[in-house]
Amino acid sequence: MGPLAVPAAMADAHCHPHRPTRRQLLAATVALSATGLPRLAKAAAPAGQLTYGVHVSLAPTWFDPADTQGIITPFMVLYALHDAMVKAMPGKAQAPCLAEEWNAAKDGLSYDFTIRKGALFHNGDPVTADDVKFSYERYRGTSHDLMKSQLDAIEVLDPSHVRFKLKKPWPDFLSFYSSASGAGWIVPKKYVEKLGDDGFRKNPVGAGPYKFVSFNPGQELVLEAFEGYWRKTPSVKTLVMKVIPDEATRTAALKRGEVDIAYSIRGELAEEVQKTPGLALKPVVLQAPNWLYFPEQWDPKSPWHDVRVRQAANLAIDREGMSKALFLGHCKTTNSIIPYTFDYYWQPPAARYDPAAAKKLMADAGHAGGFDAGLFYCDSSYSNMAEVSLNNLAEIGIQVKLQPIERAGFFGGYGNKKYKRGIIQAASGAFGNAATRLAAFVVKDGAYAYGSYPDIDELYPQQADELDHEKRTGILDKMQQLVHDKAIYAPIWQLGFINAIGPRVGESSFGAIPGFAYTAPFEDLTLKG
Amino acid sequence: MSAPADVLRLLSRPPRFAALRGLDLRSFPLIPALILVGIALVAIFANQLAPHNPEVGSLAARFKPPFWLKGGSTEYLLGTDQLGRDVLSRLLFGARVSVVVGITAVAVAGVIGTGLGILSGYLGGWVDQVIMRLTDTWLALPALTFAIFLSAIAGPSMWNIVIILGITYWTRYARVIRGEVLSLKEREFVRLAIVAGCSKWTIMRRHILPNVINSAIVLGTLMIGVVIITEATLSFLGVGVPPPQPAWGLMLSDGKQGLMVGYWWLTVFPGLCIMFMVLSANLMGDWLRVKLDPQLRQL
Amino acid sequence: MKRYILKRSGYCLLSLILLSLTIFFFVRVTGDPALLLVEPGASDADIAAIHHQFGLDRPIWVQYGLFVWALLHGDLGQSFYYQTPVMELYLDRLPNSLLLAGVAMGLSLIIGIPSGILASVRVGRFWDNAGKIFSLLGLSLPSFWVGLVLILVFSVYLGWLPSSGAGGPLHLIMPAFALGWYFAASHMRLTRSSMLEVLGSEYVKLARLKGLPESLVIAKHAFKNALIPVLTLAGINLVIMVNVAVVVETVFAWPGIGRLLYEGISFRDFPIVQGVVLLGGAMIVVVNLVVDILYAVIDPRIRLGS
Repeated sequence: MGPLAVPAAMADAHCHPHRPTRRQLLAATVALSATGLPRLAKAAAPAGQLTYGVHVSLAPTWFDPADTQGIITPFMVLYALHDAMVKAMPGKAQAPCLAEEWNAAKDGLSYDFTIRKGALFHNGDPVTADDVKFSYERYRGTSHDLMKSQLDAIEVLDPSHVRFKLKKPWPDFLSFYSSASGAGWIVPKKYVEKLGDDGFRKNPVGAGPYKFVSFNPGQELVLEAFEGYWRKTPSVKTLVMKVIPDEATRTAALKRGEVDIAYSIRGELAEEVQKTPGLALKPVVLQAPNWLYFPEQWDPKSPWHDVRVRQAANLAIDREGMSKALFLGHCKTTNSIIPYTFDYYWQPPAARYDPAAAKKLMADAGHAGGFDAGLFYCDSSYSNMAEVSLNNLAEIGIQVKLQPIERAGFFGGYGNKKYKRGIIQAASGAFGNAATRLAAFVVKDGAYAYGSYPDIDELYPQQADELDHEKRTGILDKMQQLVHDKAIYAPIWQLGFINAIGPRVGESSFGAIPGFAYTAPFEDLTLKG
Repeated sequence: MSAPADVLRLLSRPPRFAALRGLDLRSFPLIPALILVGIALVAIFANQLAPHNPEVGSLAARFKPPFWLKGGSTEYLLGTDQLGRDVLSRLLFGARVSVVVGITAVAVAGVIGTGLGILSGYLGGWVDQVIMRLTDTWLALPALTFAIFLSAIAGPSMWNIVIILGITYWTRYARVIRGEVLSLKEREFVRLAIVAGCSKWTIMRRHILPNVINSAIVLGTLMIGVVIITEATLSFLGVGVPPPQPAWGLMLSDGKQGLMVGYWWLTVFPGLCIMFMVLSANLMGDWLRVKLDPQLRQL
Repeated sequence: MKRYILKRSGYCLLSLILLSLTIFFFVRVTGDPALLLVEPGASDADIAAIHHQFGLDRPIWVQYGLFVWALLHGDLGQSFYYQTPVMELYLDRLPNSLLLAGVAMGLSLIIGIPSGILASVRVGRFWDNAGKIFSLLGLSLPSFWVGLVLILVFSVYLGWLPSSGAGGPLHLIMPAFALGWYFAASHMRLTRSSMLEVLGSEYVKLARLKGLPESLVIAKHAFKNALIPVLTLAGINLVIMVNVAVVVETVFAWPGIGRLLYEGISFRDFPIVQGVVLLGGAMIVVVNLVVDILYAVIDPRIRLGS
């Protein structure tokens, strides 16, 4: 793969609010009381340094939450520099952070937030309701149009209270405000107004656990512990994020101790890390399902028109074998194109690997001898997956020729619906919920839907207007079941994102927030000894 | 080649100093020639020679070492790769890609470059201006950038790589050939042909082309190496010959991750193949240059 | 002379205008940057917002006009990915690139010139071949692989050198070698051919007739004269190195211009690609211009000839 290739799947930090178990509740209470109490014993002063080997080039746009696009990568930095009113935290998808608490009005038309006492920006200013209003209004990233269209006004009630007024009830408000966008991340109004956008990106000030020290585009970012952080004083004094685009070089740097944490180490290199004493792998599962898509299924002349052929292809893929060979088994196999952590996710029957059954389906469909299915399109960073699928499909008689296309070209071709024949291997880590995914990938006129089925299309507007959570869940479940029954896609897995740490790292906080690819919360990081 | 040209050529040659010329260069580079012939034969007979299908492997047989190491077997003489495919078979078929890409890409570049070089040099005037400005622009555009963009537009396939490399590297021919043509134009035999009433087209074809073909061949031999290395680099950047097609460059870039873990056979063998082929082509080119055209310098 | 310089400069300008047109339109047909900044599945409104932010929603001729207008004011635009002026990013990386290219050039000459001399002067088959083959080897191995092997040997196994990044002089050794080795062969070849030419000249024959020892003839008379074209080529190659170090810079995480360009290409960051290619093109064109003019000053025939 290309040295700079970003993992095609950059999942979001959006989490499904699990129904908490009793143990989780208990843990939450303990955590609350710990954070709620005034700090009795003075925490030890931050010390030491942790160095990261980062796989993508760090960009100053990531220092400003207003620029958040719908990908997870910027959150690698946002979680350190900034803080949100409500964000995903360990054990809680919507944890109170800069907002101490919030209340939704009975009519669903307004939300009141109370700002946490003692929350400070790095320049010493307290976080106030003005900053919250300002940050929301200045937000210009993903879903900003959607939110603007739903919101009526934001009122500053007093310095520590703010009210969001909606035009009509919008059940998704909190999930968008907390994690499906960057609108809930707070920047200091006065400071931003003084420096302007460009100045702010050069010298960002936030309310997060680490403050900005220096940045060299394409090289490194240096951060220092902010002792006034409300949740706790970080334990590690300095964080250095170095950009090392080549995976092998990153591994070499980790082995040599030049970096302590290396993002995205795959395949044989991950094996090497596993073998090396002192180093450890920290795999996480991204909210980015990969799948095969059959764009010919709406063409009555194509073999793919027969649902049995599509089901056969689904049964032919050896997901476990592929995951073991390419990701040391750290991918989560799935039979849905929607991440299991999303709101309104419907659990389909587990995916099976059964070549014999697949061959039988092929024979039933009249393709016992197999057929030539033409081209197999994929993002060239993931051609290794495609190569395995290719072999799997060949085993049941489906012959395809691989067309790995460089990332930019692939997304263009896929989105512009140029790959009308053959098979498409793709993935998405877009923010949202089951409904937004269906809209983009399944329903008529969806940006990536090459065709659609009327029974599914019919259901879509019904759920969009449905305010009752249960009824909406029912409709969305039905839609996903139809997607499964029709075998529109052959889902493969939610991608495993394998990180590695060196011997100096104590707590790396990888995986503390489900579905989040990077280290967070940063204030929990520790060094050994 | 026309007789007056030969005579003039001999007359205009610099004084002979053969004794000072590198000793080995006077003698035919036998080993490189044998290597190149060997690679060509392998490319032709890959189907007969390869013990396995180069594109199909089984995940159960991944990372088998070469037969002389512990865990290796004679079934896979040079071991297997990350997807359980036979390295030897892939190398044998890979020779085909390298030979085809090496020769045809150089030929494409050579035909375009020589053609434009002759037109530019012989016709002069606005044709020369247009072609030379185009060449300057092309040279200022980094070759890899150009190749990446083209492959994004054209899509992946071995033939597209050939075309991409061809239209990336024609400028080198155009410049050298134009220079040669400029000096040929002043020679007696060309002037005589003009006086005799030959058409421009005939002169270019009958009198100019045969006299620059040597330079084009020498340049071509030297370009084979550049083209093959670029092909490998394109694979590293993810826009080369598409997998699972076996190509040395692709094997090298796919297998490099395994080097650190100790799966050295994935990259060392294709690396050696590329190295021997390019080195041999360069040695041949250097020898040819001295034999055919000692004037050619900055290559 | 003045006319010649003016004419040549005019051509250069023309080339650069052509280059700006080529790169501007070329980069725009290869992909949509907005699709790379979001995930597939992002809403149309989000993508439209990005297009608007980058000015990609305007007619392409308007975009080109604005680009040229800004260019005339020395402004290369703002990077899509970094949201930082391209000029700033470029100037930030330029010293690193020059440093790497400079050291690489030094290494390449250290390898290339001696092996070129060895190949031109009969010193024995073994040394002659050894020098030549070592130079040619640099040309025969893809630099990404050379780089990786260097890292494995010198950083991982021996632990002598840092694996990547910029820093002290130790950081420079491996990338400079990987880059310089590739260019050694071209310096070797030119050294050899120009040595042969000089050794065959009347001037050297005269020196020999005077009875000077062969080593002195080679060192003093031949080498000095043969060096001029080699150094000219080195000057041109230096500029080329700055612009082609993409692979080496990526492998060694060296923060230079090559990597900036490659990132620009990967993210379809139009302003970066345009800016880096144009500035690089300008460098190449200007160096060629200077070389041509210098030659014209030395040799008046060239002036008349063109």
